[in-house]
Amino acid sequence: MTSLQVRGVRKHYGETHALRGLNLDALAGEVLGIAGPNGAGKSTFVRILGGEETPDAGEILLDGVPFTLADRRGSVAIVHQEPQLFPNLTVTENLLLKRGSDGPMRPRATGRERQVLSELNLQRVADRPLESCSLVVWQLTEIARALLRDARLFLFDEPNSALADEESEQLFGHILRMREQTNRIVIIVSHRLRELVHYCDRVAVVREGECGAILAGPALTEEGLARELVVGQQPGTVETGKSGAPGAQRGDEVLLRLAGWTHRRRRFQDVEVELRPGDILTVMGVEGSGARELLQSIAGLEPAHGIREVAGRRDAQAIDAFLAYVPADRRTGLFPNFSIAANLTARLGVPAVASRWGRLLKSRLYALGRQLMGQFQIRARSPGQPVGTLSGGNQQKVAVGSASAKKPRLVVIEEPTRGVDLGTKAEIYHQLRQFAREGNAVLAFCTEVPEVFDLGQRVRVMSRGHLSDPFEVASAGSVQDLAGQLAKMTGAAPKASPG
Amino acid sequence: MPAKDARRLLGKRSAARLNVLRGIFLRRLSGLIAAIVLTMIVFTAINSFFLTYVNLIGLVRSMSTFTIIAFGETLVLVSGELDLSVGATYGIAAMTFGLLWMHGTPFVLALAAGLGIGVLIGLINAWITTVVRVPSFITTLGMLSLVQGVTFLISNSQSINPPSKLPGFGVFEALGGLEFPFRIPIQIAWLAAVAAIIAFVLHRTLFGFRLAAIGGNPQAARVAALPIRRYKLWVFAIAGACAALAGILDFSFIGSTTPSAGANLTFPVFAAVIIGGASLSGGRGTVLGTLIGAFFLSLLSNGLSLLGVGAFAQLIFVGLVTIGAVALDRWTTTWGGETQSIQL
Repeated sequence: MTSLQVRGVRKHYGETHALRGLNLDALAGEVLGIAGPNGAGKSTFVRILGGEETPDAGEILLDGVPFTLADRRGSVAIVHQEPQLFPNLTVTENLLLKRGSDGPMRPRATGRERQVLSELNLQRVADRPLESCSLVVWQLTEIARALLRDARLFLFDEPNSALADEESEQLFGHILRMREQTNRIVIIVSHRLRELVHYCDRVAVVREGECGAILAGPALTEEGLARELVVGQQPGTVETGKSGAPGAQRGDEVLLRLAGWTHRRRRFQDVEVELRPGDILTVMGVEGSGARELLQSIAGLEPAHGIREVAGRRDAQAIDAFLAYVPADRRTGLFPNFSIAANLTARLGVPAVASRWGRLLKSRLYALGRQLMGQFQIRARSPGQPVGTLSGGNQQKVAVGSASAKKPRLVVIEEPTRGVDLGTKAEIYHQLRQFAREGNAVLAFCTEVPEVFDLGQRVRVMSRGHLSDPFEVASAGSVQDLAGQLAKMTGAAPKASPG
Repeated sequence: MPAKDARRLLGKRSAARLNVLRGIFLRRLSGLIAAIVLTMIVFTAINSFFLTYVNLIGLVRSMSTFTIIAFGETLVLVSGELDLSVGATYGIAAMTFGLLWMHGTPFVLALAAGLGIGVLIGLINAWITTVVRVPSFITTLGMLSLVQGVTFLISNSQSINPPSKLPGFGVFEALGGLEFPFRIPIQIAWLAAVAAIIAFVLHRTLFGFRLAAIGGNPQAARVAALPIRRYKLWVFAIAGACAALAGILDFSFIGSTTPSAGANLTFPVFAAVIIGGASLSGGRGTVLGTLIGAFFLSLLSNGLSLLGVGAFAQLIFVGLVTIGAVALDRWTTTWGGETQSIQL
């Protein structure tokens, strides 16, 4: 029976140690799950297994024989959340592309391809261009390609993050069927605890570049997994969620009210939210839960309908004036052709950086930029420096700074500290808390429990488009407690589709 | 604010500004200026007429109209769009103005109609690009052909030659043909005026600031709730107006206009803007850069004419230089590492 052994694999990028001696075993005939918080080294591990990176140390064995980089490239199939295929070609044509040279003629499907297509129930769509097919067809096509080149190891990297429930079941159905083959190893990397528990035989929890725990059998529960995921993660700051935003008077004014707020394509439904001055609400949810879309829709970047009142008003001007949105991806939030100062002040207009007649006051722009650089502790040589020369953490501070520069009453922020170091995290949390303390409100989307613990007073979980009831972060004694509670809340959320 | 603080702030501010200036000018334009000086030395060595007042004034005059269009195009490029229809707009503006005027419309109204049609074409381009969401490359490519067709249609494929007895002929002649003391043609004054206005708009107003933001990262501009559609409407309208003005000025200078006027302008306009450092992907571009880029192009054409290399060789050479200039720019900016140029 085929087995994969990973022994003491290490990998570092500059100062960052992504993997610190990872040990892992996988056997054919089982589905191995891998879970871990962001930055734990999961994606590095996936890249190493896929032959995209070489480890610094350690060995990978397949059936006891070293599994070399070239072998891995040939026989490891990675199914990504966004498959890397050719959307303009049909499903069949996508299968024919990597087949080597069959001469100068356009390749045609042979019995082998037809057989794989029928195994995966793809005959119906075989001649349709991929771009007109649903995402599950893309992923099944990716699996089909891997089957055709006799891949030994199937690695699913967040495969169902963008799939609807039914599609997800369909995909996992195929994954489970693959387990029956004795020469194939199946590994699923996912954030979705429910699916890991439901479909995997064992789940390895990767923490800080090592395999922290392996759960199997009765120990494999959502709550247990959630607790394991946050082991050893200390809150980033002294001021934890427990202390909330001390000194804040929770005002009577309603800064954000959503009622019956529903996404046009039903990514979320009937969302009710009320935020008052001093509130920090975090929304937790996995990719595809609808949480991200909820925040974007509040900022007017995703289509939704229902009631949305910002500071008591429903008009677009009020939203422009009182709400500032910070996207998760810095590439969509910053202007690469601008300096730091210009980025910090890009949302401002008359009178902050321009005269009544629209003349740009560069002196004020730079003075303001300098002031914001100080306030947000952005470390740079000068405000005139291109924003692209900053580190990721400092860029994130620029993104947060530019949103708060226009003095909104409500900041809507996606993953406030994605890809930033601990110290910077603490600074950003401090800024957001300070902002709330001054009589404003924060709505944040988080994917990690420690962030919720650090930042939020209240947390609500988005699951399949429905928002749970709020949970007071302060009532959880530790990050582990909170993780367990949140896992329960995810489980308790109603299903989007009846039945 | 205490005086000391103010002074400190001012000191820091000018330092920051100097940094930016260094970024833009030294890195991007110094190479271009060096190339210009070198070219001038070579041409002067070969033909001593090159470096005479008369020749240089004539050179700047000849570049003035396409450079006016290039200024409008610079704004369009900074906003992250393209306008390929400016050559056709140049032609139709002159033709519309001339035909209306020759058919009895008062001079001023006909002139306004000529400029107005440029603005109108710009607004249509902007509407199709931002509301219907056809990429501006396709919109304006179609508009180029469409407008050229309309120009042939309204002119009946005939050139027009306004007779000197028409009311307002004196003003018409003066628009593009007047000569100031020191033999400075009025076209240079037009060039300077448009340069000053566009430079002010692009580099000194909130409009220009936000425009560079919109072109630099359209997604971030959406996140920041900037008025993207309204700004692009303005930009295309200004580009149309610049093209129309240039067409009318040349009509006046030559004294006649043909239905195909402006058909050859797409190359020099884009070459000037791109050599001047504007980015085709938006967010970067300066009026000074475009001006120097246009000067460099004119210089090459003029010098090569003086050398008598012939029109075909000239085309080949100018094409090579355009590609070379941008290649060199790419090479120096990537070679320069982290010190990329920034707009503000």
